Amino acid sequence: MATSFATKRLSKELNKINGQLPPGISLVKADDFQEWQLDIKVLDNNPIYLNQTYRLMFKFSSSYPIEPPEVTFLACPDRPIPMHPHIYSNGIICLDLLGMQGWSPVQNVESICMSLQSMLTGNTKNERPEGDQQFVANNRRRPRDIDFYYHDNTV
Amino acid sequence: MSLQGHNPPPNTPSSDYSLSPRVSRRQPRTQMSTDRAANLNISHTVDLRALVYVGTVDQNLICAICRCALVDPVTTHCGHTFCQSCIDDALSHSQLCPVDRSWLSLADLKPSPRIIVNQLDDLKAKCPSCSIAYARSMLQNHLERYCKEALVFCAGKNTEQGCEETVKRRFSDKGCLHYTTECPDCQESLLMVELEDHREKLCDQRNRHCERCGAELLRCKESDHETECPDAIACCKWAEYGCEHEAKRRELPLHLDECSFKLVGPMAEILKKEINTLRSEVRTLTETNQLQERRIKFLENGFRDPYRPLDYSDFSDQTLSAIPEAGNPEPLSAGSEYLLSLLEAQESKMSQLSAAMTENEAKQTTLLFNETIPIKNELAEIRSMQQTTSMHVRWLLRFRLQDNHRRLGTGPGSNGGSDGATGGGSSNDSPLPRRLSDGLSRDIITKL
Repeated sequence: MATSFATKRLSKELNKINGQLPPGISLVKADDFQEWQLDIKVLDNNPIYLNQTYRLMFKFSSSYPIEPPEVTFLACPDRPIPMHPHIYSNGIICLDLLGMQGWSPVQNVESICMSLQSMLTGNTKNERPEGDQQFVANNRRRPRDIDFYYHDNTV
Repeated sequence: MSLQGHNPPPNTPSSDYSLSPRVSRRQPRTQMSTDRAANLNISHTVDLRALVYVGTVDQNLICAICRCALVDPVTTHCGHTFCQSCIDDALSHSQLCPVDRSWLSLADLKPSPRIIVNQLDDLKAKCPSCSIAYARSMLQNHLERYCKEALVFCAGKNTEQGCEETVKRRFSDKGCLHYTTECPDCQESLLMVELEDHREKLCDQRNRHCERCGAELLRCKESDHETECPDAIACCKWAEYGCEHEAKRRELPLHLDECSFKLVGPMAEILKKEINTLRSEVRTLTETNQLQERRIKFLENGFRDPYRPLDYSDFSDQTLSAIPEAGNPEPLSAGSEYLLSLLEAQESKMSQLSAAMTENEAKQTTLLFNETIPIKNELAEIRSMQQTTSMHVRWLLRFRLQDNHRRLGTGPGSNGGSDGATGGGSSNDSPLPRRLSDGLSRDIITKL
């Protein structure tokens, strides 16, 4: 039942996404209801992200939308990982919206993409998070199991 | 639509007829009605989240969690509405309203206002079996009792065979189809109920080439093909109007150019259409004419001779004919005019009735009078007779009293001597009975 619940919800979202998406967001791959890929662009003239496209990977659990999806940036030849003080160089995103605490079942793929767009738009620091090298080297956990400490609300 | 307003078909149980889907959805899947007449129906579970709705559902009726039209909606104290099951799940995860993140617990949820529920019930959705659109609240009932494509228990269930299978409802009136038969095309043995599907989709021999046109066709649809096969011999399009030309269907268009009925045919077609429309027009006109005639007759009856004696059979006849006429849809002015005339007719009826009543009353009075007069006469006669009798009695009494006085006045000594002189029959009696008769007569006098 739980599986079909997530599937139903995702098929509704997919229908909507196939119809229309906000500017700067495009669907790349949605072959099943476990993993989707979308491209996002930053629309304003922020010099850090100018003329760049980033690839997002969504992984849905069977409890979606009660539980948040796992969202990471995916590095491809022409799709870098954006520079941001909350985005690790392996693509893991530290955003309260994607954590158990900040998630709400009314969020959806589209709203997550828009949140990430605005998170990039509002950024002025061309840097990685503190301890990025160490985290990337040592982390074997999945993003959902990491307890981020949401200390910085300025970006 | 009100359910109760409809006449349920014969196999509808009178109880639990208006079950709403939200109640019955919680029943076990194969629970059966105990009503014998309906025992072929299976209770279906409608997954309201898998429905395909007709048109787009208003965004305000969509649950933010499952993105479907709300199912069993509940509203939070902060005013947001979700499906009961969705918000249950969400609250088991975090006790916050998913929309505005205010604190929320299960106790803060209330069933949504009726207006929301009604709007949801009215949403048109396609039946998952037959794809015909119905109001969402009616789907459950439709599936369980009417849908031709929905599964029901086999008709063989009630017979001694006790067939346990299920079939689509459209097969259920043909008796139990779960017997083995042979496909007429491939001779494979299979269940009768599967034959149609088999012949259309599965049979190895289902396809056949038409011997005339060579097209591939389904054996079970051969007769349909007969009417459209391009190589079959067919009559000219204008055969109806006299053309006797016959050719293969595909060659008929060539003939059409040279057909002698080329010009007459279309004309005749138009005329036929015209005649048909005229005919239907005439029919409607005749109907209205009849209606009006009936009405005129009725009005005439109402006004003619309002003082004639009341005839009940005639009255009820008119009432009967008046009812269907009154129910007829009419333009407003004509309708009110008609109603007015109806009212007048009723008024004259009323005056007739009252006249008849007066007449009756008079008749009754005379009758009564005639009856009472002889009684009165008799009474008077009896009274006079009684008076004469009492006069007689009084006279006799006085006579007796005088007699007594006289006897007392003469004394006991002369008692024996005067006896023979008066000669009264009572003079020989002893004093006791005499006194008694005295008292008796006094009694009678006082009574009279």
